[in-house]
Amino acid sequence: MYREFVTVLRREYLRWVRVPIWVASYFVVPILYLVLFGQAFNLNNLFPTGPAGEFYVRQALLGAPNYFSYFAVGMAAFVTLTATLYAGTGILFDKQLGIHQRTVATPAPRTALFAGSLTFRAFMAAWPAFLSLGVAVLFLRVPGLVGLSVRSSVSALGLGEVLLAEALLALMFTAVFLSFGYLLDSNEAYFGITSLLNLPILFTSNAMFPQSTMPAWLQNVTAYNPASLAVNVMRENLFNTSGYPYPPGIYLLGLFAWAAALIGIALYLSARALRVP
Amino acid sequence: MTDAIRTDALGKTYPTGTVAVKDVTLTVRPGEIFGFLGPNGAGKTTTISMLTTVLRPTSGRAEVDGIDVARYPGRVRRRIGLVFQRSTADEVLTGRENLEVAAGLYGLSPAEARPRIRELLDHLDLGDAADRRVRGYSGGMRRRLEIAAGIVHSPRILFLDEPTLGLDPQGRAEFWEFVRDLRRRQELTVFLTTHYLDEADRLADRISIIDHGQLLTTGTPGELKDRLGGDLLVVRPARAGDGIVRVLESIPGIANVDPPAPDGAYRMHVARGESMVPSVVRACDAAGIELATVSARSPSLDDVFLTMTGREYRENADALENGHTHSP
Repeated sequence: MYREFVTVLRREYLRWVRVPIWVASYFVVPILYLVLFGQAFNLNNLFPTGPAGEFYVRQALLGAPNYFSYFAVGMAAFVTLTATLYAGTGILFDKQLGIHQRTVATPAPRTALFAGSLTFRAFMAAWPAFLSLGVAVLFLRVPGLVGLSVRSSVSALGLGEVLLAEALLALMFTAVFLSFGYLLDSNEAYFGITSLLNLPILFTSNAMFPQSTMPAWLQNVTAYNPASLAVNVMRENLFNTSGYPYPPGIYLLGLFAWAAALIGIALYLSARALRVP
Repeated sequence: MTDAIRTDALGKTYPTGTVAVKDVTLTVRPGEIFGFLGPNGAGKTTTISMLTTVLRPTSGRAEVDGIDVARYPGRVRRRIGLVFQRSTADEVLTGRENLEVAAGLYGLSPAEARPRIRELLDHLDLGDAADRRVRGYSGGMRRRLEIAAGIVHSPRILFLDEPTLGLDPQGRAEFWEFVRDLRRRQELTVFLTTHYLDEADRLADRISIIDHGQLLTTGTPGELKDRLGGDLLVVRPARAGDGIVRVLESIPGIANVDPPAPDGAYRMHVARGESMVPSVVRACDAAGIELATVSARSPSLDDVFLTMTGREYRENADALENGHTHSP
């Protein structure tokens, strides 16, 4: 099982590294999001200025020093979510090119095929989030740009929790979209489903907007969205926060539950799709 | 010695009710090249898919290398190699990397795979192109890479599903030379489907013909042709007309005249073809029937196919050549 897993992992890596535009997109897209979207969509400009305004901002953003900082952490989750949307495309292309036909005719355990693709694609969805956070911090040194201000005393445990939250978020959504790749045969159906899910997942989370600004029903949905849980873990660890009802560990528990459920369902659906008809 | 392949009333009915394969019983002996022939949609690919565990039989049973395909698909997969109709190589990867992936999926360690891959690449004349991306390979090179991927794990039985489809005659000849050579070196059993009957005639030790999902006959190419009885006499009248059948069947030695082929020729099986030609010419002349051609020849597999199915093989092959390659 280990050899087959490593084989799938290596093939995924080779396919990625051989397409320069694909490699470049992983570095450029998060930066573009921050430079264009982040700087243009800076709601900080709408908040009142002065000490009262600052108090209001900190209260609305639950301790984040400014909207860009609040947004940059949400953007990290958004970058990951967007990358996971493409997790199943490799399987779809393999089906169309006949590669999938050979793969499933080998004795390689189906779990190894799934796990190999899941590991690589989830990793590829998670690391640009950290690139995005790093670049957002560097913006502080660029004149004319707003940057991400994190608290000076981020603990190792806190960083570990941030890593874990991102990893869980990447794994669960990669698993879901990977299973769509196994289940579906047409690109149109695949991209139809991803378009259908993409925006609801993002906009029922607090990645971009403070939960307190949402209507009550949406606040309830947002509270349980895994993207919100991951963002809460990151913001609680990176800012001098206040107003979060739970410590990061509780949100991590919620993320574990989501990950277990979604990966379990995705594994089951993929196994069904790979069953001999 | 265990049969390489043994099926007993093997069948596949799809949930829609379509019967793709019905009661196929055959045996393939170890080390032989076995040709599985049939027109487009006859059930060849369904049968090969069941034998290679890609499809589950709905009736009967099949054993490959003594192992039940339905009960132990994983064990069967380790013992077999597959060469598909179309290329399954990853074009972004090099030839060597494709083989490394294939070896890895069969559980070979890099240390086991490396010398094996080197040997295969050299043997299949791909050594110089091994580290080039497959995107730049010719059709023949891709086919050879496909074989290498099919046998990288040293299988006991190799399944070839229309492996020369789309290759030019030279490419086909080279491909089969590699297959023959591999069989000699590795004592492989080869189960092949092809729509080139001349290839099957030259290559296969034994042949089965399948049509409408049912096995029609099995034997060596020689046996199948012998079963037609002697030679084949082909008579083509200058003008179409019904009377010629009565005239021909009145000649001693001619019992049964097949319905006319699309080119207007009548075929009949006779003991000794050449000696019948003068009798045919005389009888037709006496009846006032003008003949365009009269010829006698040994039967070919095309004739076997025509006799067994009532259809010309060529029309099915043409459909395949024109890209209608689906066969359930």
